[in-house]
Amino acid sequence: MKPNPADTSEVEYAPYREDTQLARYIKNYPRSFTRNPSQPLIQRPLTLSELTGPVALDQRLGISAQDIAHVSPASPRAIGQYIEVTGSVTDEDGAPLAGSMIEIWQANSAGKYIHEMDRHEAPIDPNFTGLGRFVTDAEGRYKFRSIKPGAYPVTESDWWWRPPHIHFSIFGPSWMNRFITQIFFPGEPLNETDLLLNAVQNPEARDRLIFETTPTVVGAVNFLTFRRDFVLRGKKRTPQLD
Amino acid sequence: MIPSPYCTIGPFFPGEFVAGCQDLTSFQGKQARGQHIVLTGRVVEEGNRPILNAIVEIWQPDAQGVFRHPLDPHFMDADPGFFGWGRARTDAAGRYSFQTVMPGSSNGYGNHPPRSPHVNLMLLAIGLTRRLVTTVFFAETPESVRDPVLDCVPDPAGRSRMLARRESDRNGAGGVPVYRFDIVTRGDSETPFFID
Repeated sequence: MKPNPADTSEVEYAPYREDTQLARYIKNYPRSFTRNPSQPLIQRPLTLSELTGPVALDQRLGISAQDIAHVSPASPRAIGQYIEVTGSVTDEDGAPLAGSMIEIWQANSAGKYIHEMDRHEAPIDPNFTGLGRFVTDAEGRYKFRSIKPGAYPVTESDWWWRPPHIHFSIFGPSWMNRFITQIFFPGEPLNETDLLLNAVQNPEARDRLIFETTPTVVGAVNFLTFRRDFVLRGKKRTPQLD
Repeated sequence: MIPSPYCTIGPFFPGEFVAGCQDLTSFQGKQARGQHIVLTGRVVEEGNRPILNAIVEIWQPDAQGVFRHPLDPHFMDADPGFFGWGRARTDAAGRYSFQTVMPGSSNGYGNHPPRSPHVNLMLLAIGLTRRLVTTVFFAETPESVRDPVLDCVPDPAGRSRMLARRESDRNGAGGVPVYRFDIVTRGDSETPFFID
């Protein structure tokens, strides 16, 4: 990597558009009302500090195998529907973001996470950790195999079950496009009532929290395939005439 | 294309993804240069209640003020023992802690203004559908800091809440200075957060 100072002023990071993001305050999601700031957020200039960010994270964090449905190549496959997830990470201009670290975490097929905060009585699968780390290739693409996560009840709610979803944490090239989200599966009845998925006003943006199904390939090993492309904030600045 | 929607980190962010990330003082077997420090504090919500299980991430320049990123014109001189990014999780008391180095001030170049020593900080937790972002400064008083980001905070009390305070009565492991930065996400002495 060579220094390229010219690039900093060529990329624009506009604030997120409210209608394309989840609402900050969500009815029946009490912590959104006790944790979001009461004071208006403050506009600041973007300097080198905000326009840079951690890159080449594979030098700092370990990468996992591409198939997280197997704890090791020799171990039995995790219980559940075998899936393959693919997609790309680009900026708002559609330019691929190569070398982006992606972290994923998910429940097992019974809706159980290996986490001290998870008090759901569902069983742990000894052959599944539910976490993975991957890096996008030169075209900004990623691919991994896993099992489809199960739904699970929200501990403090008497009605809310989370639909199956996979958590994604993505590091773009800048502190401004550090990105965290959850991606849902198409056609799940619980999708219709999920407080988080339905907190996005814009229907096109809401759809981008849901995997697309893609045709399966018939072969010795079969799996359902899902695709989700991510668009991280950042686009080429339009030249100003002044 | 519009950016993908953010969503909350939820309660189950894996401990494996946090382990070892609180310590920024070495990278690829090399020790970071400069003054090592502990940066610690509590994260609280309305009513001063601690937020358990929040994820705090930081991004900062090295002790010379250089960012380990190719956009920094001094990138080639970045400290080989300092990566600049860290992650921590809050405990039941809302407490997080990083071992890092005192960031250097950075010179301006081109359209970029000089910056005072600072650490970029973001917070993720249940109830937050998007991250909260703020900046940590190191000074006795806000008046002694000349910085274009701190200058955007209109209220003097708010500016003083963006200063990490040296704890005079204790030191970290190895006798390093401890700086305390509490984060109030909502409440009377709320931390200023930026439009993201």
